[in-house]
Amino acid sequence: MDFEGIHGRLGAISAPGLSGADRPREADPEDKKDGGRAGDAFVQVEPGEIAAFLAACRDDAELAFDLLVDLTATDPDAQDERFWIGYQLLSTTHRHRLAIKVFVAKEGARVPTATAVYRAAQWHERECAEMFGITFVGHPDPRNILLPDDWAGHPLRKDYEFPTEYHGISCE
Amino acid sequence: MGLIEHQFEENLLTTKVDWLLNWARLSSIWPMTFGLACCAIEMMAVGAAHHDIDRFGAGAFRASPRQADLMIVAGTVNFKMAERVKRLYDQMPSPKYVIAMGACATGGGPYYKYGYTVVKGVDRVIPVDVYIAGCPPRPEALLEGLMKLQAKIRNTSVIRKPVHTA
Repeated sequence: MDFEGIHGRLGAISAPGLSGADRPREADPEDKKDGGRAGDAFVQVEPGEIAAFLAACRDDAELAFDLLVDLTATDPDAQDERFWIGYQLLSTTHRHRLAIKVFVAKEGARVPTATAVYRAAQWHERECAEMFGITFVGHPDPRNILLPDDWAGHPLRKDYEFPTEYHGISCE
Repeated sequence: MGLIEHQFEENLLTTKVDWLLNWARLSSIWPMTFGLACCAIEMMAVGAAHHDIDRFGAGAFRASPRQADLMIVAGTVNFKMAERVKRLYDQMPSPKYVIAMGACATGGGPYYKYGYTVVKGVDRVIPVDVYIAGCPPRPEALLEGLMKLQAKIRNTSVIRKPVHTA
């Protein structure tokens, strides 16, 4: 199924939290602000509904997204108020893919965990949590995965300030 | 050797204690099995047949710091690892030597500016005897570093210099 087919099917089964779709656009030289967009088409989902949305994508026989390929977040701009969390799904039976974006406010970012739907999400969410400070509500093991346990700050945020010292070792 | 020449039976050599100890040490620098990043791949190439670190008596990579004389820090040291590196160094018996292999171990390398968890040189944690440039260094460069270390050991002395007080 192509993107339009998947998007139509998501509407037909009224997948929870589906709030829009965005497709790559040709560059428009007249448009100074948003002149076009490269990359993949994606669907946009409400933050609170993402776990239910993923479950619907997995359980529907026509969609059958049985594999979570990737889960990560992006801090697009220091001025921007929002992160986006990207989910990449793959159906190994139908050989089609879907990109999902969830926009969350940076301040106190919270989304439900996807671990109950895809166990593969567990480590991805741990990394996402330590790198961006996003809380995945209901995560079974919310420890740091890469950084030391006592690390201060979230390194992939645009407003991250580098430490000057860690356990007596200078970082300058 | 003037006075003591021809005083002993044949097959007996006379030498200096310094020379003997240094010769023994520099001819069997056993490194620790210890790789942190891509430099370790080059280190393994040095240990393999083509470059053959065994020619210098340093081919016995030990799995325990207690049996090792040399720590080759081959790769990127991050803060989480730095404490383990320090601990392993402390577990090695003296005399012990450290080679900082490659740009990361020498000074942070490509992670110098934006590597938020990379230690900017392993010499901030443990003392380093020889630094090797490269990213990663070629096997020949590691062998050169090893020879530099041997030259350094050759110039050490077990006899303490007299302390002159004013």
